[in-house]
Amino acid sequence: MLSTETPFSDFGEEVVRAENLRKTFTLSRKQQRLERTDLPRKVAVDGLSFTAQRGEIYGLLGPNGAGKTTTLRMLSTLIRPDSGDAFVCGHSVVREPQKVRDAIGFMTSDLKLENFFTPSYLFDFFGAMHGLEKSALAARKRELFGRFGIDRFAEVKVRDLSTGMLQKVSLVVSIVHDPAVVIFDEPTNGLDVLTAKVVTDFLAELKAMGKSILLSTHIFSLVEKLCDRVGIIIDGKMAADGTLAEVCAGDSLEDTFFAIYRGIKGVTV
Amino acid sequence: MKLLALMKKEFARFFGDPRLLITMILPGVLIYLIYSLMGNAIFGGEERYAFRVYVSGESAVVDVIDGAVTQNGWTAEFVYLPAEGAQTAEEALEQVQSGQADALLVFSEGFDEAIAGTGGDSVPTAGLTYNSESDGSAAFAALAGGILENYGRPFAFTVSDSAESVDFARSMMAGLLPFLIVIFVFSACMSVTLESVAGEKERGTLATVLVTSARRTDIALGKVLPLSCVSLIGAASSFLGVILSLPTLMGISVDAAVAGVGALGYVMLFLLIVSVVPLIVSAIAVVSTLSHTVKEASGYTSVLMILMMVLSILAAFVSGIGDWAVAIPVLNAVVSMQSVLTGAMGVWQCLVSVGLNLVYTALLVFAIARLLSSERVMFGK
Ligand SMILES: Nc1ncnc2c1ncn2[C@@H]1O[C@H](COP(=O)(O)OP(=O)(O)O)[C@@H](O)[C@H]1O
Ligand SMILES: [Mg+2]
Repeated sequence: MLSTETPFSDFGEEVVRAENLRKTFTLSRKQQRLERTDLPRKVAVDGLSFTAQRGEIYGLLGPNGAGKTTTLRMLSTLIRPDSGDAFVCGHSVVREPQKVRDAIGFMTSDLKLENFFTPSYLFDFFGAMHGLEKSALAARKRELFGRFGIDRFAEVKVRDLSTGMLQKVSLVVSIVHDPAVVIFDEPTNGLDVLTAKVVTDFLAELKAMGKSILLSTHIFSLVEKLCDRVGIIIDGKMAADGTLAEVCAGDSLEDTFFAIYRGIKGVTV
Repeated sequence: MKLLALMKKEFARFFGDPRLLITMILPGVLIYLIYSLMGNAIFGGEERYAFRVYVSGESAVVDVIDGAVTQNGWTAEFVYLPAEGAQTAEEALEQVQSGQADALLVFSEGFDEAIAGTGGDSVPTAGLTYNSESDGSAAFAALAGGILENYGRPFAFTVSDSAESVDFARSMMAGLLPFLIVIFVFSACMSVTLESVAGEKERGTLATVLVTSARRTDIALGKVLPLSCVSLIGAASSFLGVILSLPTLMGISVDAAVAGVGALGYVMLFLLIVSVVPLIVSAIAVVSTLSHTVKEASGYTSVLMILMMVLSILAAFVSGIGDWAVAIPVLNAVVSMQSVLTGAMGVWQCLVSVGLNLVYTALLVFAIARLLSSERVMFGK
């Protein structure tokens, strides 16, 4: 529909291109204590650059606090980089945030749906938030609800759905506007195994639909199972970046990661 | 389009919850009960009055007033000066002051001909003097004042109160009423607005809307407009409560009360309430947006409530506040309501208050939109 048919010409195969992204947070006293530091500022993302290719799944891999969430929030225009820029489908996150928001579907476990409403209502509501026409919306609802088995639950209030079904509904609602790029922060974090499988199956399905996906995780197996490319991010910096085969060079991803980590931190883990 | 969808969602959430609807209607019922009970306790319910009124000069208006008095189930004796008990207007005035008579009506010479346009070219005048210390006198003044006020044809009309000290109970009531309205309106607004943004933040449903391409001003308006409409139900209920309690408050019938405040007075009262609602809603919405949790929001909102109370109490007990009061939100509405209720209403004062309240509301909506785009507010830990 929308973006899958737009010509490649203006941004080529690079659906996401981050250029020297940098983000610093001012820490409150309480945060300083939590981070065990006396410094008033924390560099969360420090000159990060990478590109994600059309139709592929790109995984940002890193330990907690590495700056993954901050990076994805900058890419989805929820927060502004201090310096640097990123382009999503050729649109600058700094200068054209509105266009970027229409080109991406952003997912994280922090984004919730209102209990009070039904999947069908919420689908229409978020469709309207992206400026979709009623007729196009109805067709898309039929297609997606059918594809992911939501039709029978379309009129059940969100608060009465099972965890797995709720997860499916959240996922489907976030791609109501048929975004070219899906950005997913920690897809399986905090989910039980069954719900986690719903999510990984969904990501595979999205890839089959021709979407480009950018995800963050600290789980090696998830990257190995799903991703075409991986970027290892440590302390807000890109430590390694390439196809899975290039980065690992024959080793397992886990061994590769810890080798890199030791090299940077100079400690044994 | 997006704004419409946002508003619809807010309404759907509200009207799906009957409890919220009840909290909206309750304030009016409370006002009515409090004022009816208090009114009855203080003034001993509806009196049967027999007025004694001195009249200087002549006019057909007297017959109209007499008719209205009879309609209320009261009687009036109109004594034309000079009379046996009082030779001059001064003597009549003394009697009004001492409570022997209820009022003095003074019409300029040839009053009826002059207002019919067939008399001389000097402006005709009518004067009403009463004594607010006496319930009967005040009741007559409310009735006759209302009729003269709305008599239509151009003449100068003056009302004067001959009381040496203002009746404490009555002035307390008139002073306290706007204060009560503000408190009730505030709690109506609070019950729907307090959790509006903070609650969505807490539940993580606001971020879901923020990642869409909806404009921040639309999201802000999508909250403030529906919540104001809903709060208006509460405000309208308070307003009705006030209208229905006024007769008891003044010790007269509904007709006489309506005539006393006048149609324009009621329109002004209504406009004032209508303009205060979105102002309070957006102020609470700002607080709600700044807070991370509903608990935090309710803490800050109590501070806001105390501020409102101080402002309205200030107006209730400090008399003779200057014109600058009009520029201060909430205080302006309280002062204007008081002046409407005491019959000293300035239309301009009311309109300026209403206009300014709308301007303040617009500013607050922009502030909310700004806050929604602020990462510190939305994602700060
Ligand atoms: N709003 C914020 N204020 C202060 N510090 C923050 C904020 N958001 C993130 N940080 C800090 O920035 C660093 C990177 O965080 P984040 O991007 O969440 O890491 P990850 O998602 O990789 O675990 C962490 O040290 C975190 O504490
Ligand atoms: Mg994270």
